[in-house]
This record gives sequence, structure tokens and C-alpha cells, in this order.
Amino acid sequence: MADLFDGYSLGEQWDEMFARAGEPRAAYAGLFASLQPMAGEELAARADVLSQTYRDAGVTFAHAGEEQPFPLDIVPRVIGAEEWAVIERGVAQRVHALEAFLADVYGAGQVFADRVVPRSVVTTSAHFHRQAHGLVPPNGVRVHVSGIDLVRDEAGDFRVLEDNLRSPSGVSYVITNRAAMSQVLPELFADHRIQPVADYPSRLLAALKASAPSNVADPTVVVLTPGVYNSAYFEHALLARQMGVELVEGRDLVCAGNHVSMRTTDGQQRVDVIYRRIDDEFLDPVHFRPDSVIGCAGVLNAARAGRVTIANAVGNGVADDKLLYTWVPDLIRYYLGEEPVLANADTYRLDERDTVEWVLESLDQLVLKPVDGSGGKGIVIGPRADETTLDDLAVKVRARPRDWIAQKPIGLSTCPTLIGGRIAPRHVDLRPFAINDGSTVWVLPGGLTRVALPEGELVVNSSQGGGSKDTWVLSPPRQTAEPEPELTTIEFTAVDLPEDPPAQDPGPLNDTVVGQGQQQQQGAFMAITAAGRVAHVRPEGQLWP
Amino acid sequence: MSQAQTFEPTTAARPAAHRWRLQVVHRTRFHYTGPVRSSYNEARLTPESSNRQTTLRSKVEIEPVATAYAYRDYWGSTVTAFDLHSPHAELVVTGTSIVEAGPELGGHDRVGWSGLRAREVRQQFGELLSPTPLTAMDDDVVVQARTAVGETHPHEAGPLICRFVRDHMDYLSGSTNVKTNAMQAWTKGQGVCQDISHVTVGLLRALGLPARYVSGYLHPTPGAEIGQPVTGESHAWVEWWDGGWNAFDPTNSVEIGTRHVTLGRGRDYGDVPPFKGLFSGPRSEGHTVTVEVTRLA
Repeated sequence: MADLFDGYSLGEQWDEMFARAGEPRAAYAGLFASLQPMAGEELAARADVLSQTYRDAGVTFAHAGEEQPFPLDIVPRVIGAEEWAVIERGVAQRVHALEAFLADVYGAGQVFADRVVPRSVVTTSAHFHRQAHGLVPPNGVRVHVSGIDLVRDEAGDFRVLEDNLRSPSGVSYVITNRAAMSQVLPELFADHRIQPVADYPSRLLAALKASAPSNVADPTVVVLTPGVYNSAYFEHALLARQMGVELVEGRDLVCAGNHVSMRTTDGQQRVDVIYRRIDDEFLDPVHFRPDSVIGCAGVLNAARAGRVTIANAVGNGVADDKLLYTWVPDLIRYYLGEEPVLANADTYRLDERDTVEWVLESLDQLVLKPVDGSGGKGIVIGPRADETTLDDLAVKVRARPRDWIAQKPIGLSTCPTLIGGRIAPRHVDLRPFAINDGSTVWVLPGGLTRVALPEGELVVNSSQGGGSKDTWVLSPPRQTAEPEPELTTIEFTAVDLPEDPPAQDPGPLNDTVVGQGQQQQQGAFMAITAAGRVAHVRPEGQLWP
Repeated sequence: MSQAQTFEPTTAARPAAHRWRLQVVHRTRFHYTGPVRSSYNEARLTPESSNRQTTLRSKVEIEPVATAYAYRDYWGSTVTAFDLHSPHAELVVTGTSIVEAGPELGGHDRVGWSGLRAREVRQQFGELLSPTPLTAMDDDVVVQARTAVGETHPHEAGPLICRFVRDHMDYLSGSTNVKTNAMQAWTKGQGVCQDISHVTVGLLRALGLPARYVSGYLHPTPGAEIGQPVTGESHAWVEWWDGGWNAFDPTNSVEIGTRHVTLGRGRDYGDVPPFKGLFSGPRSEGHTVTVEVTRLA
């Protein structure tokens, strides 16, 4: 039988699965053992079912103006618990620092007074919206949802490529990928303890409700979409459905006297929180583009008056500007007094003539990124660009250096991917999603792994035709000697405990739960364990049955 | 029937001989060809309080009745925001203020050209050193302005630029509109205070002086009689920084003093429009603006 992994070539870059040829890393041992004996045809057949599932579910992404199924690779990416803990800490740390920075930018501006970040970096940003100055969100949160893009470098370290603090998209694929994969490869799910992703919508809803203006007993949340022509409409609809809230367009909302309502069949209903997936420029024609018809007039002043919460907040773009990105490690030190857990990619600011000249001379060895580009648009990878491209680039960079940053190319890690019935290495990145509810920053275990399907391709953005992988974060090994607070707080004596538990006592459920726990939610699993233990303890004054 | 937003003075009023007490009534009347069903608006009609001007009382009245909401914007102007949802064919917004105004108090340490070129200054005043679409000036005009200034200290350069602009531009009411940019007005050689101010801040910035556009009112009569209401106008002038802020009225070639009432400042007119809004409904038949100023003391 031909081995699926025959001919899998390891390059210079870090490979997610293999430390050396034929030697999987610890987190991948189970996956490798399951996949290796499988014939290429069988895996391909399952992949067909997978893509069929996807097409049936209508999981699409607009690429080059066309709605296409978003390709999901059948080989998952696995991240071990310890490694994930680092990512989790690093992402949360970044979000905390960027939240503090945004509050400062639209408030006191202490960071400028203390000369940590030059004021002009913010005032020259296209996403600095003076209209949002002095607007303080009810629970202080501006970055309700973020997506922090990471890549793994040659040494195996995760590095931050960019922060997405406006309307990061892709989380719907994380949810649908998991659902589809568990149907097609159920045996893999039986062998692994994978942290669940299905609770993202409920976490998001809780965070949105927590951000509602005060004095609202049961806040009404809506998802505001630009409409069916938006590339992420599928996601908007999925999140609204899974949160159980209305999906609205601008014309469904009306502001009057600084209150926002939605038009429903029962008349107007008050709206407290708008999870908007419309860009700032189109959100409120009173303050931004007066010709925008997809937004809602007056919504910004309603937010300023504290009657409605806009999530994510208006003006977050100043903090995910790629030039500002170069200061994020300093912001972490300044606001949190901590060292960054995750390093940035090596980046050069084009703010000094010498640097600009050096960058212009080295264009063929650098990656040049427009500071306000998104979706991988406008990125030039020097070593792969032809002369004309580099010449054009040089003219643009010379004219407006503020619009660019330069990075040393990172050899993105590769991950085994099913390509034409065989497994081959393809470059991947990772977008973990974080939700800030005002008291904690929760990082969805896993996030979106994007894979560049053409061989050697380094740009993995979905808007550039990439695919994705289900991303598994393994649960930490169970600690057998874990202290149980329930047991320590209840007093009992030896006479209370029967020699043998009666037959109807369920007993410790740990083992059975673990066996089926891989698809359980972590929270439920904990509750069952606790209940199982507590069942040993007899309430005081009662006789054991 | 109207509803008003009243702003109490934050600093104690100290009438002084070199100050005038002025009342300004600024009324904007919009006419529509039929009922407007929905309208969202912002008015910047509340004068500031500073070391040269004290706002004793200010209110904004809206007809038909509307719930107004006030906030301070990024540039420090007080904004009255309101929306209307009952059908109306006319909208009248009236700002009434009583202020005491006089010349700038105190001086400041001045910096030279090298001080203005310092990185910190350029960082701090970046947005007041960059051209905006309304204030951008062509290079050849900048070269002329630079020649006019010569080697003089920045402190003298400011008034020289104001004079340079005024020498090339005639004040002519109605020759431009609110969307006219600085170069268009310059090319015409004509404009109103707004255009002359846009050209002036554009050139001041091009020369390296942080400069801002000021929106306000002017009592037209020096030595005005007390208690006599006269027709005034919305006015605009400029300020530039040379270690501290200096103000000048390039349209009238006068210092800012007892006759000037400051509303607010920004990069250009677009940052401090007295009134802006959106409405849905039939065509607008246009609007009329009246400003009445009275010297009270």
C-alpha cells in the first residue's frame, strides 16, 4: 500500500507535522497514525464528501467578484495545549494593550505626551476618525472582536503579522470547518481531545450584551450587514442565526432622538448593541460619506449619547494600521508593564531618509506592505517580484513612504495538505479570534488556519484564493491530583461514607466522560465531573439511601 | 415653541474696559418644497471661552421642536446635534450668545525657523502643517509667498503672509461658495473671508508654520454704539503658531480684538461648519442666514 506521506518533502521552513521525515511531532502523533495507513483514494473520497458538505451548506467566499465555495483541506492542523497557551496569552496581551491605546487616542493622548508613539502616526492614519474623539463606550471595550494574524517562522516561533481590530472575518469558517470535519473523519475526533469552537457565538453574544449601555435589563443585539453582496455575508448571517439575533441592514434601522430602533413587523423595537460589519466610512452618512446608503444616519451620535453601543467601535483602524503595528511591543511595555509574549515580524519603518534609501535598494529582498491594505492586497514580495513590479513599487514608496512598511520575508511554516490525491506541504498562517467582554479577553481555541494552495505560494489570504484547515487545539493533559473545592468545603465523617457506593450512584464519571468528551463542550465536561464527585457526599443529617 | 440648549459660563465674567460685551443672534432658515420626513443635523453655534473671550450665555433653538444633544468635538467646538422625524417644510436653527471679547492676553516665547522644523513640533502639529483639499496651494504660489517672506523671523512672517494674500485677493461677496478650495479662489483673485483664510492657512503651513482656520463673527463697526443691533456676518480668520498662538484677520487686515467672537477652529471650514446636516424628503429651496450683532457694553 502506497504511503500517503511518500514523497513529502521537508524544506527549510518549519513543518507543522514533521520534525524530521517520517517523524511526526508529539501533537500530530495521533493524526499521523490515523492518516498514514489510509489510501490516497480513500482520503480523496472523503475530501469529496467534505467539499460536498460545504457546498450544500452554502459556505462561500466572494473571490474576484464571484461567490465560490471556500476550499477546506481535509488534513487538520494540530496545536498542542502548551503551545496554544502561549498564543492565548500573547493574543490577549496584545488586545489589552491595543484597547488601552485606543482609549488613549480617542481620549487624553497620554501616549503622545509621553513620547511613546509620535502623534503624527495617528493623525496621518486614514482610519483616524476625529468624529469618534471623546466617545467612550459603556463598558470601555472598543475591540469586542479581533483577529490577530500569526505565522510560524523558521525557528518554529509564532510571530504577529498584523492585528485586525475593525471587522475581522473568517470565524464562521472555524465553526463550519469543525462541523464538517467531524462528519467526515469521526474516528479522528474519537482519538483526540479537541477544544471546542462551537461556543464562539454564545461568547460573542455575552460580550455584546455586556457592552450594552447601562440600565438596560435585556439588551437587544443586532448584526448589521452591508447586505448580500458583501464578501462575508455568509458569516454575518451565520453569526446572527447562531446568536439568535436579528440580521439587519442599514435601512432596517432608524435613529431618532439618539435612540436606535429597528423596524419589525411588530413596529419599532429598541436596539442596544449593533455588531456592525460595515466599515466606518459607510456607517453614518451624517459624519462620514454622505452618499452612503448602507449605513444608518445618526448612529454615531446615538453611541456618543450612550444610547447604543457600536461594536467594534468607530475608529479602531488607527490601532491596526501597519505602521502603528511596529509600535505594539512598545505599547505592551507602556500600558501593561510586560514584555511581549509574541514577537512581531522584523519590520522597518520608512520614517527616516536612510531607511527609505536602504529599503529602496533592497526591494528585491523585502516584503513591502501598504499600511492600510487589507486582504493581502498590494503586498509585494520582493524576492518573487519581476522588475517592472519592483520599479513601480519604488516610485510609489518614494512618493509616499508613510503608506508602506517593509518586512524581512518569513519562510512561513508548512502543513501537510491533500493536493491531487497526495499529501504535500503547503504554507499556512493562523488567525486566532479574541473576544473582549470587558473583564476578560477570551481567545477562541484554534482560529482560522489559511493555507496557500498553489505550491510555494506565500500569500494565504482568503481573498487571494487560499483555502483553510480545521485547526485543533488539544486539551491539556488531565491533572489527576486536581484539587476539588467542592470536596474541601464540605465536612463529613467516615461514618457518612458507605463502604461501597450503592448501585444507583453514578460514581466518578471521569473516565466515561473522557471517552466521549472530545465533542463535549469543556464547560459541560467540568460540570459533570464535579457532579459525579459531589454525589459521594451525603447532605448533612440525611441517611444514605 | 422651541427647545433650547443652554450652556452656562465656566469662568467667572470679568468685564474689563478693553473688552466688549456682544450679543450674537445667528439664524439659519431652511425651506423645502414639501414636507421633509427625516433630518439629521449638527450646529456649531456655541462660542468658546478662552483667555480673550468669555461666553456668558449661549443657547441653540430649533424649530420645529427637537431633542438636542451637545458634545465637544475633536477640535474643541461645542456641537449641538439633533434629528427631526415629524414632517416639516421649514427648519429654523437659531444660536444666541452673549460674550465678552477682547485682544489676546499675554505673550509667549517665540521659536525660529529651526525650532519650527524640530521633529517634536512637526509631530505635535502634524495635522496643522499638512494641506487639506480645501487649503492646498500650488508650489509656484508657495514660492512667491516664500520670496515675500524672505529671511524674516517666523513671528513677522505670519503677518507678511496675511498681507501677501490680501494684496492678491479682493474681497467679493458671492464670488465663491462653501466648496471653493484655496487654489480656485486664488486663481480667481477673489473670495470671501473663508477663501482668504483658506489661502492664508495653506501658505502658512507650506512655509512651515502650524496654522488653523478660525470660525466666528465680526461686529462690522469699530467704535460701535451700545445697544444698537446691526447686521453682521459669519466670519473666518487664521491663527499660526511660532512658540505660541497668534491670531490675525487677513480679510480686514486687523488684529483680533473686541469685535471678534470665536466659535471654534480646525484645519479648514470642513472642521467647523456652523451648520451641517442630511435630510430625506423633497428638494431644498435653499436657505437664508442672518447674523445680528449688538454691542451690549
